[in-house]
Formats: sequence, structure tokens, C-alpha cells
Amino acid sequence: MSEKRMKSQSKEKKYVPEISKKEINELRNSVKTASEKIIAENIERMKKTAENRPKEMEYFDDIANFFGTREKELSEAKESGKKVIGYMCLFAPTELILAADAIPIRVNSGWYDTAKLGDRVVPVEVCPVVRSTIGAKMIGLSPYLELSDALISVLTCDGMTKLGEILSDYKHVWAMTIPRVKDSDQSLRFWNDEIKSMKSQIEDLTGNKINRKKLKSAIELTQKATKAFRRLQEIRKGAPVIMGRDAMLVNQTYMWDDITRWTEKTEALCDELEEMARKKLWACPPDTPRVMITGTPMLWPDNWKLPTLIEEGTPQGVLVADELCSSERLLYDPVGVDEWSMNDMFKAIGERYLMASTCPCFTSKDGNEDRINWLLNKIKEWNIQGVIYYVVRGCMLYAMEYTRVKKVLDDINVPVYYLDTEYTREDVGQMKTRVEAFLEMLTARIDL
Amino acid sequence: MIFEILGEILKLTVLAGLAIAGILVILLWKKNLANKVTYLRFLVQVVTLVAVFYLFTYPIWQLIVLIVILVLPLFLGRFFCGWLCPFALYMDAITLIRKAVKVRYRLLPDKLNKFLHNFRYILLLIFLIIPFVLALLNPPSSFDLSVLLALLLSGPFEPLRILISPIIPLIVPWEGPLAISEVYFSYPYVQEVILYSELVFSEIFVTITAIIFVALTFIGSFFIRRVWCRFCPTGASIAVLNRFKGFKWAPLLHLDKDEEKCTKCGICKRVCPVQVTEVYEQKGGKINTSMCMLCTRCVEMCPYEDCLKVKMGGKTLFKSRNWLEPSTIE
Repeated sequence: MSEKRMKSQSKEKKYVPEISKKEINELRNSVKTASEKIIAENIERMKKTAENRPKEMEYFDDIANFFGTREKELSEAKESGKKVIGYMCLFAPTELILAADAIPIRVNSGWYDTAKLGDRVVPVEVCPVVRSTIGAKMIGLSPYLELSDALISVLTCDGMTKLGEILSDYKHVWAMTIPRVKDSDQSLRFWNDEIKSMKSQIEDLTGNKINRKKLKSAIELTQKATKAFRRLQEIRKGAPVIMGRDAMLVNQTYMWDDITRWTEKTEALCDELEEMARKKLWACPPDTPRVMITGTPMLWPDNWKLPTLIEEGTPQGVLVADELCSSERLLYDPVGVDEWSMNDMFKAIGERYLMASTCPCFTSKDGNEDRINWLLNKIKEWNIQGVIYYVVRGCMLYAMEYTRVKKVLDDINVPVYYLDTEYTREDVGQMKTRVEAFLEMLTARIDL
Repeated sequence: MIFEILGEILKLTVLAGLAIAGILVILLWKKNLANKVTYLRFLVQVVTLVAVFYLFTYPIWQLIVLIVILVLPLFLGRFFCGWLCPFALYMDAITLIRKAVKVRYRLLPDKLNKFLHNFRYILLLIFLIIPFVLALLNPPSSFDLSVLLALLLSGPFEPLRILISPIIPLIVPWEGPLAISEVYFSYPYVQEVILYSELVFSEIFVTITAIIFVALTFIGSFFIRRVWCRFCPTGASIAVLNRFKGFKWAPLLHLDKDEEKCTKCGICKRVCPVQVTEVYEQKGGKINTSMCMLCTRCVEMCPYEDCLKVKMGGKTLFKSRNWLEPSTIE
């Protein structure tokens, strides 16, 4: 396997143009320095916004740094013989990776600067998440992408489909076809077969057999993580005890953190938050408009502008929920195992990824009604006063579902605002005006 | 005499002990009833089994149980099948063995499952016709409908009694016809019929049917969860009201689904021992199906809080919750 990968690395690149090593180094250094600054600045601003920031957030601030603790840990783990397996969509069965004693890491990138580099490979019309990931790989910026031994590319939207193909210029990429109709028996059968073949591929790479016991403990790990994750979301149902950005950061660190430690730290954070709620130490005034974001994934560190604008705007808003695959959808659905046999565990894993998902790349007999139901449930349970429908240019699937969502939300009289943007800092000014106008309207509605 | 009384007292004590243990367990788990509902159900099944065997030695109890079994299903749906039926306990025990030896279960194709579901009415009919055919072939001395029924139930097809098992002891009690204050509640002529069938059919025939039946049910329920419940005519007779339009209100005890909380993750469909798909497919509200046995496994496994509920009348008995405690059950 490793030989094969060596070959694929040395062979001619199909997509990516040759760039001189010098240019790569220069670009990497400049983007890295800028990025480190941005990470520090974002955290600084988050600290400033929250009136009572939980102390446990310090851990997540630390782990949020791409070029710090976690990178060191990963390279140490790699030296000790562990494999790192990256994935691009949350449909990759992380349980299997964990069961094979490998480390799962999501490698989508949120850097604005690398999106411009991606323009050299794909046109500007393409989704910036894809362009940014390509750019990050071109200059070797993301440590997680660099350290991964193989990538799992789940063919969800068009962008992700081709992203895997383009990245195979550098890495060994396993493609997983995911059926587009999510609630039919034949789709499920097909997807279960894909997961089974992924199992043998992971076993080949890591050299560890996935047996019943290992898979069971891996599933239990993710179940525990889901429990902690849901607990955090439950806490956000009440008056805002944690700022939305902080919670989003916690959710997002799951993508690259060690799962056991992440679970422990999140539980500790929840303990502290519950204590704070008892003492009525709110993160912002309890009558702040409660906003929810839905749409394209929003990735740390650069693509943090919308949550920042909402929570630092005048009037201020607070994010209490979202429907992003980079945040609340990551872990919301657990693997529900009936009998702990290999057969049933695989079925459970397959169903958890395919059937429970609300990604717009799917359709079903009733036309992705699940997503609507998710939104309605969130709006009711989390007491949401306004929804921001966030779409980056080139994200067709989310953009096309807007009218449907708008119609439903109009029916229940919840304002929804369509915000389209790009991976760029240039439109922050005009976005600020738009977001603040929306928040103004929300405040007026509450006062009525 | 003194030993008989002591024996009775001992039996009563055991029964009372079991019942109290059951209630204690229910109280212990009441806070999180849905959490351990499978264990609870198992316990209830065992208690019922013991209770039924014990109670059936007294005629008055038989009458009460008959009323319970015949009337309550109209309102409780197939609660009996899921929670009380002794044969279900037998199948669940086999399932436990299968789990212990780590053999995976097989699924019936959905279409076959639905076909079997309707087929059981025909099955019921067939078994009710058999005694008439037998009687025509070998006319008994006293020709009577009750004789025919008794013939079916205590004759060569005795192992198939399980088909209408819960009402069997009332129709053909081992101790003879059930009578309270000289009012007969079950069919007479039992002794004659038993005698008659022994004359007509050889002992070996009866033994062979019994062996085949036991073997088939064992193998079947080893590989397929609750295989008998899928075409059990008793279940059909219990749930027959649910199938008619004017009686949708009849099952007071029913499952209720919240559409908005459901993400269609499919867990309810997968964990259902009789492969009911309606819980998964229906949009929301009261779940109408006569296939559901209300074993509440789906409610126990549903990972979304308040999504699935067991409702009695308008009141929620218990509901799904964030279970997410990694299960310790193997």
C-alpha cells in the first residue's frame, strides 16, 4: 500500500500545475503567519465579546490553533506508527477509522487566502470550500491534510466529488459513492456495501483488523462524544450562557481533536456552563435576539466573519443553534445499535450516516423534508427569533433549497434572511450593514 | 392435607414475591422508564407466565383472564402480544441464546412480511375449518360445534394450540369444563373428544406433529426475531379492530410520533422485532398498524428526545429520550 502511494505521489500531476518549491515555501510562510495572527485575533475577539467566558474554553482556544499542540501530537502519533486518515465530508465512517486504531481528521479548509490559490486549478465559480482546500494542499498549509495517510472522499455534492479527484494528485484518496435518494432500501444496501469495502481498505492501510470488540468500543466512543455534544446544545436552549461562536468552536474542534479528550473537556465545559446558568452569569443580555444559521459549512479559522458580525454587531445577536455540517450536524445523530454483532453494527453505522443526514445533496420520497423538520424543531425548541440562510457563491444545493425553507419559515412567521458571500474579507463592510439591519428588525419585533 | 395448604401458601408467596419484585423494578426505573424497557418487558413476561400457570388452576381466575384477554385488546391493541404472551417469551429466550452465540438475525423481505400479516386471517380460517373436515371424515357420536373445536384443540393438532393459545385453557381446560356455580363457561365434552381422538389417531402421529412444530418454531425464531408473531392468528384476532376505519380510536394504547423531531434515521425500523415499517414511514401522529405489538423497543432505541411516545388515551406513558449511554448489553 505504501509503495502504491509513493508511486501516486511521484507520478505526474493531473490537475495541479507545477509550482516551484521556493514559491510554495514563500506562500506557505506568508499564509501561515497571517493565519496564526487571524486565529489569535479571532480568539481575542471571542474573549472580548463574551461577558462571562467559561474557563474551560481555554482548552478549546488552544486546540483551535492549527499550528500548535494538536499538530505536534499528531506527528508524534504518526512516528509511533499510528495512521491518520483524513475525510472531507462528515459521511466518512469515523467509527471504522477509530476501530482500526487510526486517527480520523476532517480536512476541509476555511482559509480565504488559499481559495485564491485554488483559482489556479478550478474556476472561480466553484465552491470556495473546495478551492480553499485545493489551495491549502498546493502550498502544504494545513498540517492535518499534510499528515493524513489517506483521504476518504465521499461523493456528496459536485464540489466534493471533484475535490477528491484533484487531491489524488497528492494523496491516496478513497472515494465512497453515497446514494442520492436516502430513504430507499436499495440505496441503503448500496451504502452498506460501500462501508464494508471501506472497512477492508482501512484494514489494509493500517494493518489492524477491525473486530467486533474494537468496533464496539469505537461506537461507544462516538456515542459518548454525541452525548457530550448534545448536552452542550441542550444548555444553549436556555438564556445564552455561552456565545454562539464559542460553542461553534467547541463543535468544530471535534473535527481534529482526540475524541476521548474532546468528550471529557466538553463534559467539563457543560458542567461549568450549568453552574454558570444556576448563578445567572449570562454571556450576553438574556433578551438578545436569538439567531440561527443554516447553510454552507462555516470553517475555522478564516470563515468566521458571519458569526463575528452577528455577535459583535449593534444591536447584538446571539447564535443559539445552527444547521451546519461543520457544527451541529457533526455529531447530532448517534449510531444506534440493536445487537452488538458485526452485522448489526455495520447496518447501524450505515444508517446513521445516510438516513439521518439533512444534507441538501440528498433527496427522498418527500423531498428532503428532514431538513425542514430539523429547522422547525430547532426554531421551536431553541426559541429562535430569526434565521440567517448563509450560502457561499457556488454552493448550488443550499442556494436551491432556499425558496422551500423560506416558504415554510414564512408560514410560522419566522424571519429568514438570505446572505450570500464569498471566501473574501472585502465584503465584510457591506455584510455588516446587512446583518445589522436584520438584527435591528429582530430587536424591533421582540419589542413589539 | 397440611402439605397441600403449605404448598399453596408457598406458591402464593412466590407469586407475590415476583409481583413485588416487578413493581419495585418498575419504581426504580420509573424515572427513566424507557431506559430499560426491554428488561422490564422480560420481567413482565416471566411474571405473567408464572401467574397464568398458577391462576389457571382456579376457575374464577380463568374467567377474569378470559375477559382481560378478549376485551382489553380492543383498547390496548396488541399489548398482550408484546408484553404478556408466554410464547413470545419463548421466542425472546431463543433470541437471547442467538445473541449469546453471536449469530446474526435474518430479515424477512418486507413484502413477505406484509403478506404473512394478511395471511394469518386465512390461517385462522383454515384451522377453524379443519375440525369440521375431520368430523365429516370420522363422525363422532355426539356431533356438536363445541366438540369440533375441542377436537381441534386437544386432538392431533394439539401442538398447534399455540395458535390460539391464550384462550385455550378456557375452551379446553385440562381439568375439565370450566364452571362457576354450575354455569358453564367453556366447552363441555372434552373428555369424550380426547378419548375419541385417541381412538382415531395413533400416538405416534401426535408425537411427530409436536416434534415438527417445536423444531420449526425453534429454528424459525432462532434466525428470525419473533417469527411467530408475524402470522400468529391470535394476534390477528386481537388487533382486528384496528384495521377498520370506524375503530381507529379503539386502540387507546398506541405509539405517537412527532414529525418535527424525527430525522428519519431508521433506527425504529431496524430494531423492530417484527419489522414494522409504519413507525418509520408515517409522517407523524398516531401510528396505525395492526402489526405493531407495542413492545416499545423503538421507543427505547429512538435517540431523539420526545420523538416517539407511548400514549394511553391522551396521556404519555413514556417517551424516547437521549439514551446515548453506551449500552452494556451484549
